[in-house]
Amino acid sequence: MKHIRIWSIALSLVVLTALIVVPLVEIFVQSVYRDGELRWAALFRTLADSQLTGVMFSSIWLGLCVIAGTTALALPLAWIMVNTRIGRQKWLEIVFLIPFMTPPYIGSMGWILFMQKNGYLEQLMPGLAFLTPSFFTFGGMMMIMSLHLFPFLYLLLRGALERIGGSLEEAGAIHGAPFAYRFRRIIAPLLFSAFGMGAMLIFVKTIAEFGTPATFGKRIGYQVMTSEIHKYISSWPIDFGKATTLSSLLLTACLFIWYAQTVLNRRFTYNLVGGKGSRRSSLRMKGWTVWLCGLFVALLLLLSIGIPYFSIIAASTMKLRGVGLAWDNFTLDFYKQLLTWGSPSMKALMNSITFSLIASTIAVVLGTWFALVIQRSKTGLQRTADLFSLLPNTVPGIVMVVGLILLWNAPWMPIRLYNTGGMVVLTYVVLFVPYTVQYVKSASSQIDPSLFQAGQVFGGRPGYIFRRVLLPLIIPGMLAGWMMTFTIASRELVGSLLIMPPSVQTSATYIFAQFEQGQVSLGMAMAVVSVGLTTLMLVIIESLGSRRKWNAS
Amino acid sequence: MNHLKTRLGWKKETSLALALVFGLTLAGCSSNSEATGSANTPEPSVATESATETANQTNQANDNKLVVYTAGPEGLATKLIDGFKAQSGIEVEMFQGTTGKILARMEAEKSNPVADVVILASLPSAQGLKAAGLTLPYPDAVNADKLNPEWSDSEGNYFSTSASALGIAYNTKLVSAPPTSWADLAKPEYKDQVNIPDPSLSGSALDFITGYLSAEGDGGWSLFENLKANGAVMAGANQEALDPVITGAKSIVAAGVDYMTYKAKAKGEPIDIVYPKEGTIISPRPAAILKSTKREENAKSFIDYLLSDEAQKLVSDAALLPGRTDVKAENRANLDEIPLLKADWSWMSEHGDEVTTQFLQLFK
Repeated sequence: MKHIRIWSIALSLVVLTALIVVPLVEIFVQSVYRDGELRWAALFRTLADSQLTGVMFSSIWLGLCVIAGTTALALPLAWIMVNTRIGRQKWLEIVFLIPFMTPPYIGSMGWILFMQKNGYLEQLMPGLAFLTPSFFTFGGMMMIMSLHLFPFLYLLLRGALERIGGSLEEAGAIHGAPFAYRFRRIIAPLLFSAFGMGAMLIFVKTIAEFGTPATFGKRIGYQVMTSEIHKYISSWPIDFGKATTLSSLLLTACLFIWYAQTVLNRRFTYNLVGGKGSRRSSLRMKGWTVWLCGLFVALLLLLSIGIPYFSIIAASTMKLRGVGLAWDNFTLDFYKQLLTWGSPSMKALMNSITFSLIASTIAVVLGTWFALVIQRSKTGLQRTADLFSLLPNTVPGIVMVVGLILLWNAPWMPIRLYNTGGMVVLTYVVLFVPYTVQYVKSASSQIDPSLFQAGQVFGGRPGYIFRRVLLPLIIPGMLAGWMMTFTIASRELVGSLLIMPPSVQTSATYIFAQFEQGQVSLGMAMAVVSVGLTTLMLVIIESLGSRRKWNAS
Repeated sequence: MNHLKTRLGWKKETSLALALVFGLTLAGCSSNSEATGSANTPEPSVATESATETANQTNQANDNKLVVYTAGPEGLATKLIDGFKAQSGIEVEMFQGTTGKILARMEAEKSNPVADVVILASLPSAQGLKAAGLTLPYPDAVNADKLNPEWSDSEGNYFSTSASALGIAYNTKLVSAPPTSWADLAKPEYKDQVNIPDPSLSGSALDFITGYLSAEGDGGWSLFENLKANGAVMAGANQEALDPVITGAKSIVAAGVDYMTYKAKAKGEPIDIVYPKEGTIISPRPAAILKSTKREENAKSFIDYLLSDEAQKLVSDAALLPGRTDVKAENRANLDEIPLLKADWSWMSEHGDEVTTQFLQLFK
């Protein structure tokens, strides 16, 4: 048994190194090697560039503001969904994933089309046109990004709140603690581990985000690190050296945050899933609080889905974009064109689904294995595996992808994966494996070891304990990881733009090409269709999953 | 108690983990450095290696395939490729993107190139490819003598099979009296109303800016400074600059490519284009065979196809200027109807990077 475990750790480290660390090292090497010579000076010259500090600062500031924004949205929502009647509406679970499924640049485009001068808001309610200047500011950018990313934090927080169960809070209430006190002394400490992890991931996602800075940020002139990196990588004059140097800087910042998070996290990890069943709190709220909660949920739905999707759908059904909102300007031709069997758009859609199905399945298997190896990262090796498995999430996607290209297209590479579909799958797996690791780790680290001990006492062999004790408890985590990977992979853009073999398109690259080619309506229609399809897939999975619920109860 | 122990424990372990990370990083550096170094510099040993590899791949290159990287418009690219396939039976794989993206992809793949033919939307970029020795000359291309000699290479390194002109695109609902000169755009009536494409993404915008500067000298910068002072905004590649003008958020694109405007206008959008009276720049769209190609014959017949009557007709249908002087466009302004600035292409080719940097600095 011990043997297997050690081999498993070693093997997982090897796999992680080959998949993730080596490509990043390639990047690092490229940033100091110029023309075959080692040039540390070039690295420092780029770093000393005075504008860089400003850009770095704006990235970090944006990250912090978005953490605040997502928390303000996700924390109340998670609490409402766990503790009130509204939470019984299962369809909300899927609906709240929609903002995250929407490609960020599409969401931002939706907001821009709605709020800009002569935009949809002005066409519907000319009186509200005065809002436009105050929207195209840093605050607007923060709002768009928070509305896009909050589901991520929400999922983690809700999971944690559910595991806390009602009994602890009830105990507090019985002893006469008011709500504020219970929140401060019971819920907050127990929530902290999940929140820390979520906040870190939000921070990293924000500073690694490309879609919103590229659309909205460009409009208001807000420069961040990713737009700089992307500029050096994908537009003329190309400077991989500078891009990789900036990436190294970003990587360092992210690692620092990760480290701070693990230190804090270790102080606030508790065993919550024990042998005893947990159940929902029976504390009931008065009528008006429920109404207030309902209002909050409705408002959030309006802002995160209603407005962007109104714009996206409106833009996808317009004959002439110059005419604006008018019934005689309505057409469904773009959808007809899009869904014609055998058309390039249909092929792109099928490619997206195939790639993300394969990639998310592989990612879940690998991710679960890594998460089980890491456990509570007690030993140095486990901590290394933890760090490695998180790296793709802490590096901007584009950096990771460039590293992968450098590695897999190197002349000495015997496996010719580059420019095949395999490369696409590999890239998605590498980019998104951290999600499964996070979800499974978060689920498994709160299982009380006494459960396994009980299994052993009753003579369960390791295989049996794994199958009947561990697996059922981590399956929700695996499912969440799978869903997340599938969702993001099916809309991944930055990497896809760089690694798609010629003649192969996914829905995301198709949309992007339409924006470049002037067929904005067609692109928007594709966005609606692909998000709709992803939602449908998730609804099916969720309804299959809900027949077998393990909440340790 | 347990808690305390783990808390003391992690310090040691973390330092161990960090040491391991750095150790691995360094080890990775030393083992990879040779490979990466040699990928960049063609040392003799590698040269022979890649030669054998080329030999290997020439064998498998009889696969009746061709890989083309092409700058937009996508509709035209697809039609050209279908036409070529129907004529020759060769299967074409296409990557479609902006000039900047194509160059970036080629850079990323430089140790193991994939593309056989590139079609770019910027002449200086093709000149750059030629100067870097990346192009394969094909002096006996059919019909090459009918191409506009100013836009193509006399040694056959690149062929400008189509071109666009840059003008001032405007929303006809918002602008009743269109500007007639570039300097008009600095007038107060256009305050905060002007978009200008990003020269680092759009090859044609870069051609305009460098071309304008080459014709006007350093004084040319004052136009861009005045534009900036009048609230002009740099907005992505051409389509991203044009789209807000179609929807009415902005009124004008300075230095927008004309074919996109013609296409939108043909669809019925409220948009039109003018060429300023002092003249503008033509941005040729060169096609070149890459030296690294393993399918030389296929690549050559593709170039021949691009220069054929059929392909030139497709070009003019897409509202682009045909590259051949003997083919006339029907649905747009022809070359002799567009006032031109006196551009110096070699100056433009040399100063592209520098001008881009300065321009991005100005419009930051």
